[in-house]
Amino acid sequence: MDDLLADFVAETREMLEASEGEIIAWEADPADRGRLDTIFRFVHTVKGNCGFFDFPRLAGLSHAAEDALSDCRAGRRDPNKALVSAVLAVIDRIVEMIDIIEAGNELPEGSDEDLIAALEEGYVPPELAEAVSKPSHEPAAALLHPSDSAAEGSGLSAAPRSDNTPALQRSIRLPVDLLDRVMSGVSDMVLARNDLGHRLRQAGNQPTIDGPFERLTTILSDVRDAVTRMRMQRIETLFSALPRLVRDLSAELNKQVMIDLEGGDVELDREMIETVRDPLTHIIRNAVDHGIEGPAARLADGKREIGLLSISARQSGNTISIVVSDDGGGLNEERIADKAVTVGLITASERETMGRDKILQLVFEPGFSTADQVSSVSGRGVGLDVVRDNLEKVGGSISVTSTPGIGTIFTLKVPLTLSIIAGLTVEVGAQRFAIPQSYVEEIIDASAKSLDLAKLGETSLITFRGNRIPCLKLSDVLDLPVTDDAKAQQTMVILRMATGDLFALAVNKIHHHGDLVVKPLAPAVMKSGVYAGSTLLDDGSPVLLLDVTNIAAAYNLVSDARTRVLQSDNDADDAAAADACHAMLFTDYDGRRCAVRLELVQRIETAQAGSIEITPNGKRAVIDSVILPLVGIPDGETPQGKVRFLRMSDNSCELLYAVREVDDAVELSSALKPVDEDPLIEALTLVDGQTIALIDGHELFARYGESPEATVKPTCHVPDNDWARTILAPLVTAAGYDVVSGENEAGDIAIVLDDSEAASPPAVGECIRLRSQPNANENDGSIYRYDREGLVNALRRARAGGTQ
Amino acid sequence: MNELMVIVEIAGRRCLLKAHDVSSVIELGNVTPVPRTPDFITGITAMRSQSLTVIDCRLAMGIDPQPFATDHRGAVIKVENHLYALKVDRIEDITTAQAEAEKVTGGFGPEWSRIAIGMVETSSGPALQIDLAKLIAGPEFIGEAA
Repeated sequence: MDDLLADFVAETREMLEASEGEIIAWEADPADRGRLDTIFRFVHTVKGNCGFFDFPRLAGLSHAAEDALSDCRAGRRDPNKALVSAVLAVIDRIVEMIDIIEAGNELPEGSDEDLIAALEEGYVPPELAEAVSKPSHEPAAALLHPSDSAAEGSGLSAAPRSDNTPALQRSIRLPVDLLDRVMSGVSDMVLARNDLGHRLRQAGNQPTIDGPFERLTTILSDVRDAVTRMRMQRIETLFSALPRLVRDLSAELNKQVMIDLEGGDVELDREMIETVRDPLTHIIRNAVDHGIEGPAARLADGKREIGLLSISARQSGNTISIVVSDDGGGLNEERIADKAVTVGLITASERETMGRDKILQLVFEPGFSTADQVSSVSGRGVGLDVVRDNLEKVGGSISVTSTPGIGTIFTLKVPLTLSIIAGLTVEVGAQRFAIPQSYVEEIIDASAKSLDLAKLGETSLITFRGNRIPCLKLSDVLDLPVTDDAKAQQTMVILRMATGDLFALAVNKIHHHGDLVVKPLAPAVMKSGVYAGSTLLDDGSPVLLLDVTNIAAAYNLVSDARTRVLQSDNDADDAAAADACHAMLFTDYDGRRCAVRLELVQRIETAQAGSIEITPNGKRAVIDSVILPLVGIPDGETPQGKVRFLRMSDNSCELLYAVREVDDAVELSSALKPVDEDPLIEALTLVDGQTIALIDGHELFARYGESPEATVKPTCHVPDNDWARTILAPLVTAAGYDVVSGENEAGDIAIVLDDSEAASPPAVGECIRLRSQPNANENDGSIYRYDREGLVNALRRARAGGTQ
Repeated sequence: MNELMVIVEIAGRRCLLKAHDVSSVIELGNVTPVPRTPDFITGITAMRSQSLTVIDCRLAMGIDPQPFATDHRGAVIKVENHLYALKVDRIEDITTAQAEAEKVTGGFGPEWSRIAIGMVETSSGPALQIDLAKLIAGPEFIGEAA
């Protein structure tokens, strides 16, 4: 019998949790049939279950509520505010009774007539209800599910309920201890697997073992995933109770508050949710009580009558931030400071030197409460200091920002506790440490020349992508003795902070990266401020996870300027390119060693010499069916065989630079010496002791740059006959034109034959006349139709005239 | 009364830990030192897949550790959901407390009084019962400095 009772209590609680949010949603939209059904089902189930036990009061209450709700369902009554309040009151009393039952006590004698009467009071006759607002549900539906049908009826109505009510999943209850045991068991299995994997690698390839081992690995990672999820819960479970809380609070205080919840799908460790529940509730109470003003005051301030309380949860790395913001009056800096001085938290002289932000944080100090009057809602002697303590106990934090008249923002940060993160294991001294992978930007071997380590005072700087960034030695950070041998082989781990700040951490060795199961550390160890947790390596030995953010903060490496977050990687790259000049080294056709800035070079192309066309007007080559201007071939020289080009671009036009040989991409570290003799040369510089001429990109594009032909193909109208189609058109196309023909088509230029019947072609631009006899009428400007060169030149001239 | 106690020896003195608080006794094999922490924290070690903070009891009390050798075994305790392994001179035996802890006139000396609950009579003579939370908090001057 006791088991049965426990089940009843548990089931009731579970249903209650699920329907808490529904009730508020229902109040907002009383016509919402799905919500109404959920609540109805709750009271109905309670009533049904009471039949097994001797709880007359519970049965009476739930019966009354069920009656009222079933009237709503049947459309005989419209739910209104009074009814919602009454139903909520009934549910509250049911909870109270459940508490008593759970504690094993007898239900006290008493009457619930008051609540049952409240349910009746708001009763509105159907005729009237019809006049006030028409129920949205169909009477047919009400007929299908008669209100007084028993479990059958509610079961039926459950099927078509709206999508926004979460489907109840089949679930069982387990003690958290058991979960923990399973969890640590799985962790052990992962470690054992890793150990085995290590040994297998040492023993070499053994196909008969490797197969099953792979399978074991896959299964294990699946299981680990599932187990981790077992402990995780969507923060929604915490959020679902908040609308009710805010509703009750605002009703009590005669305020109007709208609650906006966001990020309910963020998952958090089950126990962490419990830890956050009280602090969050406290802050919400505070916000509604002290933050948001009464409707009249709000209107006077030019705000909306309804205050907005928004609560959002976000996961960022290994922490969850919960932000509670209200649009109330904001914190009063003066009053906080005065109070702090009065209670002796700070002295008057200290106050003078404190900034607003610092003063605001005083609200978290013990013995602080700004409320002038202690209300029933907040200010019960449990201050924000308790909130902070509770959060800090689990490694979390809380901070507040506020703008007078605009609102207040509380930011709660809690760790995920048990989470699996990707991490990098590094070695310094003889000890290993782990760094969360998410911070790691790049790993550079310190022997690289480009690193350019410089010591300025006590600070070391290295050059990374053209920027000088601070460099910390992990051995210094941790006060570890370093042997000379280890000093020599440093590796730089470039870390990027959330603010966008970069810094380098010098370590001796990089080991590997992989998933790390992060475990919390004892408070005494956390106090050092260097570690975020510990994790176990493959061989089972513990490794400390570095708290990169804290280390950076301790060395003042994090700038406050949030604008830096906006700086994208591209910007960094550009800046770097401007500082450290990278260039493509090549030998040109004169045998001269030249360089061109790497940013100008798009690709290196190789083409047959035949694609090059040398005319008195300039040189061109066809690459990828685009005719591009060509430079780099000395006059009078015709290259043979294959030719290599550097395809360069200034983003709007392209050109080809013919080179005899492409050498390498180098960094121009020596000084650039400007020269005047050749305008195409920007400067001379030294690379590996040799003089290199750096090509002047500006001059190059100013002289030779032109947009690729393909993008501005003009059209050419050709006569509509076989000769033109089969012999003329390909030539015209090869010269970079789109061919059109027919009487109704107009081209940018046109070609006409002297024997053509169409005397006036529909041309807009130039008209090229072709003659069929080589020697006839040589002076009328026409071209012999097989004079290929003449025709191509004419086409090019026409194009030059048309596009410029 | 009649509560089970674990007898350990710290800095040459017999002390008692509630058997209920001691979840196990482990071999302190591989202890990873933790740089930048007070020296009473010897390091961290792993028990199954849990990580333990190893506390050197002598240093945690502020007693010069030199004259006392420590055992290779440690007592595992849990304080505020964190596991600790206590490094002691010796883990002796389990005994039964025959009376409640009581104060002794004149105290036990400053280092000992801070962490002591009181004197407890056991079947194998009197010993000092240790307050675990105070023990792992470390010497006070370090607590203030941090």
